[in-house]
Amino acid sequence: MSSLDTTEPTTRSSGLEGAPQAGWRRVADSAAALMASLFGTRKAGYLLVAPTVIFLAVWFVWPVLHMIALSVSARAVDGVMVEGFTFDNYTRLFSTDLYFRILLRTVRIAVLTSLFAAIFAYPLAIAIARGGPGLARLVTTTILAPLLVNVVIRSYGWQAILNKTGALAYVLKLVGIENPPMLLYTEWAVLIACVHVYLPFMVMPLATAIGRIDRSVEEAALVAGATRLQGFVRIIFPLSLPGLAVGVSLVFSLSAAAYVTPQILGGNFTPLLGTLIEQQILTLSDWPFGAAISTMLIAMVLLMNLVFLRLVNRRFARWTGGGR
Amino acid sequence: MTEGVSPLLKFVVAIILLIVVAPLVVPILMSISDTPFIVFPPQGFTLDWYGEVLANSEARDSFLFSLKLAAVVTLIALLLGVPCAAGLTRYRLPGGDAVLGLILSPLIVPLIVIGVALLQLFSLLGSRATFMQLVIGHTVVCLPYVIRAVSASFVLIDSRLTDAAAVLGAPPHVVAARVIWPQVRPGVLAGAIFSFIVSFDDYPISMWLADGNNFPVPLYLYTVIERSFDPSIAAIASLMIFFALLLVIVIEKVFGISLARLAS
Repeated sequence: MSSLDTTEPTTRSSGLEGAPQAGWRRVADSAAALMASLFGTRKAGYLLVAPTVIFLAVWFVWPVLHMIALSVSARAVDGVMVEGFTFDNYTRLFSTDLYFRILLRTVRIAVLTSLFAAIFAYPLAIAIARGGPGLARLVTTTILAPLLVNVVIRSYGWQAILNKTGALAYVLKLVGIENPPMLLYTEWAVLIACVHVYLPFMVMPLATAIGRIDRSVEEAALVAGATRLQGFVRIIFPLSLPGLAVGVSLVFSLSAAAYVTPQILGGNFTPLLGTLIEQQILTLSDWPFGAAISTMLIAMVLLMNLVFLRLVNRRFARWTGGGR
Repeated sequence: MTEGVSPLLKFVVAIILLIVVAPLVVPILMSISDTPFIVFPPQGFTLDWYGEVLANSEARDSFLFSLKLAAVVTLIALLLGVPCAAGLTRYRLPGGDAVLGLILSPLIVPLIVIGVALLQLFSLLGSRATFMQLVIGHTVVCLPYVIRAVSASFVLIDSRLTDAAAVLGAPPHVVAARVIWPQVRPGVLAGAIFSFIVSFDDYPISMWLADGNNFPVPLYLYTVIERSFDPSIAAIASLMIFFALLLVIVIEKVFGISLARLAS
């Protein structure tokens, strides 16, 4: 700070004397001195963090809190907004049959997506963690590369497969199955595509967790006469539970909030909560109800994250020697 | 016997990988079909559908718009995120954990909800600056990725190197430029790539904030899928898949960052 005090007057006078270049150099020097005197102090840390904190407070925390507030401060009656504290928007979501069915379907799809993603992810994760470097690299790249393809296109790819004239119907016809039931625009189609889209988020944490398991434990079990299946059930599965918890909370959160995939594969027949929010706000302009559904979605996702990441992880951290 | 994985597991893995790749291969096969409608297996061979797509000004406009949006978003996310990551990792700030929680929370709250909440706020504020709104919405989501990637490399900095430079008389800005930056650069690069991809591919935030003049690629693709039935949509899908493959190659070969590192 002392260096700043001595340089500042000279800077100002040299600027007035009409030597702006020298003046700017002094300014730059004193700025550097200021930074230097701050460097290593706590104040500098706060200065570096502040812009991001302010940005997120204004453009993330404020809008989300405002939306939650709106969900209990107004309701639409015959298209007219009535102000005042109310839980109407929430009771409407639970007591109207149509909306409640959409809520249940969303939970069902999210749970089944997590379940099937876990079933498909285990062989892949074991191959990444226990296969040679070549196999691990092949599996990792094949699983992660689709993440760079837009989700609209990945969903379209499933539409092209499940369509009446699509690839699946063609393959089934080859093996002698004519006129199979149409999967497209059913919950099954939504489920299949959701599992595909969110599979990487299950595979990676599982592979990390399995990679951390001491190989000698498995080897000891095999030497002692355990089959590979027993090795999986008794050793790999229980010790990989922290990774599974991370994967499930990620996949559940993502599929519960999915919009594009259910729209493209479910059509108008299987809307999820995301579609309901879009309809209520963009088509019906019922902002408070839309806000209430959004708040429900946040609550579901937060609950899932708390339950899986906190409770399950803490409990198993003792066994595996360190959480995630 | 104890090393490696069993043949049965390899077989299962091969089947799953085939299913994973299938929805990306089928559109490419369908895009060359010489028929006025989509059909599998493709009949005949033509590249006309690609010509039709590439000549389409709507497709080109939204592609260029998304590139511009992702570039601006990534720049702002870096300007905010790199100093923030430095502040969080280089200084023991009281309340640092709370700040980290705030920064990572846009990853937990569903994107579709962040988008609708922002739309509500913008209409409350009477804002009509669509491009600015999209930039803000995307930056909220891209910031956590940038900060996570950059923090990871700040944490790895060998403090003996910075101490040695300081002891030998290097002023702080020289230490920052010559010792810290080279060690942080891979993290900044990974964060920038991640931010660019997240913004370029975003649907659930753009769907609330975009308008006809500011129409990102994912929204355009969705409208095309909704309204057309000829193989030109398979051609667009194929072009996007080729674009993603190109990205994979650029990221892995040119930047030397493995996809696994980017995702972790």
